[in-house]
Amino acid sequence: MTRTFETLLSLDAPTRQAIVDLLYRLADDAMIIGHRDSEWTGLGPILEEDIAFSSMAQDEMGHAHVFYQMLCELGQPDPDTLAFNRKPREWRCCSLVSLPAERDWALAIVRKFLYDAAESVRLAALSDSALRPLAFAATKLRGEKKYHLMHTRAWVLRLGAGTSESRARIQAALDAVYPHALGMFEPTEADEVLAQADIAPREKQLRREWESAAAPVLAEAGLVVGDNVRPVFGGRVGRHPEALSELLTRMQLVYQLDPQAKW
Amino acid sequence: MTDTQWKVFEVFHQQARGEPHVHVGSVHAPDAEMALVLAKEQYARRQACVNLWVVPAEAIMATSYQDDDIFDKATDKSYRESWGYKTPKTISHEATEARRPEDT
Repeated sequence: MTRTFETLLSLDAPTRQAIVDLLYRLADDAMIIGHRDSEWTGLGPILEEDIAFSSMAQDEMGHAHVFYQMLCELGQPDPDTLAFNRKPREWRCCSLVSLPAERDWALAIVRKFLYDAAESVRLAALSDSALRPLAFAATKLRGEKKYHLMHTRAWVLRLGAGTSESRARIQAALDAVYPHALGMFEPTEADEVLAQADIAPREKQLRREWESAAAPVLAEAGLVVGDNVRPVFGGRVGRHPEALSELLTRMQLVYQLDPQAKW
Repeated sequence: MTDTQWKVFEVFHQQARGEPHVHVGSVHAPDAEMALVLAKEQYARRQACVNLWVVPAEAIMATSYQDDDIFDKATDKSYRESWGYKTPKTISHEATEARRPEDT
C-alpha cells in the first residue's frame, strides 16, 4: 500500500508519530554532519579536496532541508526554526555526526565514510517506502550519496594503504568512531511501527546491510574493527555529547541574535 | 623550487552523450581514480555533465609555441575550407572531423 502525506491524517497517531520521528533522525543527521564537515572549509588537505569536501557538506545540508521541508508539511515548524531554534535535547541525530573532528582528517574521513555507507543502504531501502513522498525524496538523494561514498571510500583506501603514520592514524580514528557509528542504528519505538507499515526497514536490518557494505572496504584498507564493540546510543532520544551543544551554539549564533529578522 | 604537489591530471568534461569531451582544467591527485573523484566536484558541480575523463598531464605531447609558425598558411588555402553549406548540428561535428589536415 502506498501513502501520500494527504492521507496521513487518516493514519493512526502512532504511525504519524513514527514517521515524524524518522524524518527528524534523517534530517538532523544530515544537518549536523553537514555542519561538521563545513568546518573543514579552508582547512582541507589540498585545494581540490577542500572544495570537494565543502561542496559535499552543502549537499548534506540540502538533504537535511528536504527532510525538514517534509516535516513542515506534516505540521512541524518551518526548516529555519527546526535548524536554528531547537535546543540540544530536541535534536535526534546520532552521536557519530556530533563528534568534533578537531582537525583530524583521518577521523573526518572515516566518520564520513561510515555515515555515507549507512546513508547509501538507508536511502536504497527508503526508495521502496510505502510513504511515497519519502520514497521519492530518497530516490532523488541517492545519486549525490553514491558520489559521497565513492569519495570517502577512495580516501579510506589510500589512508589505509599509505604510510605507516596514515595507517596508524586512520585505525585510531576508526577505533574512536566505531561505537558511535553503531549508534546510527539505535533502535527506537518507531522501528516496529514503520516496518509493519512498509515505510522503513528495522534499524537492526539496516545495520546488517551497512556492515556488509562497509566491512569489505575497511578490510581492503587493512583496517580492523574490534570484537564486540559496544554501541553509543542516546542520540535518537535527545541524549547527546556535550560537543553537540557547542556546535549548536555556534551554528545558531546569528539566527539567535534576532530570530524575527527577515533575510 | 621542488614541486610538492601531487601529479597533474587534465580534465575533460562531456555535457551530453554524443558531444565531444572538452578540456576544462586540471586537478592535482595521487592517482587517476582520485583525480576523477576530485575532478567531479571541481568541474561538474554546476554545469550538466554525463562523463568525465582525466588524463595524466605528462601523457600529453604538445607542440612548442616557439614553433607556432608551423601553423601559418604560406599560400591561400581557403579552398580547403568547407563553407556555404548548411549542416544540421548532428553532422557538423562529423564535418569538423572531415576537415582534419590528413584528409585534405
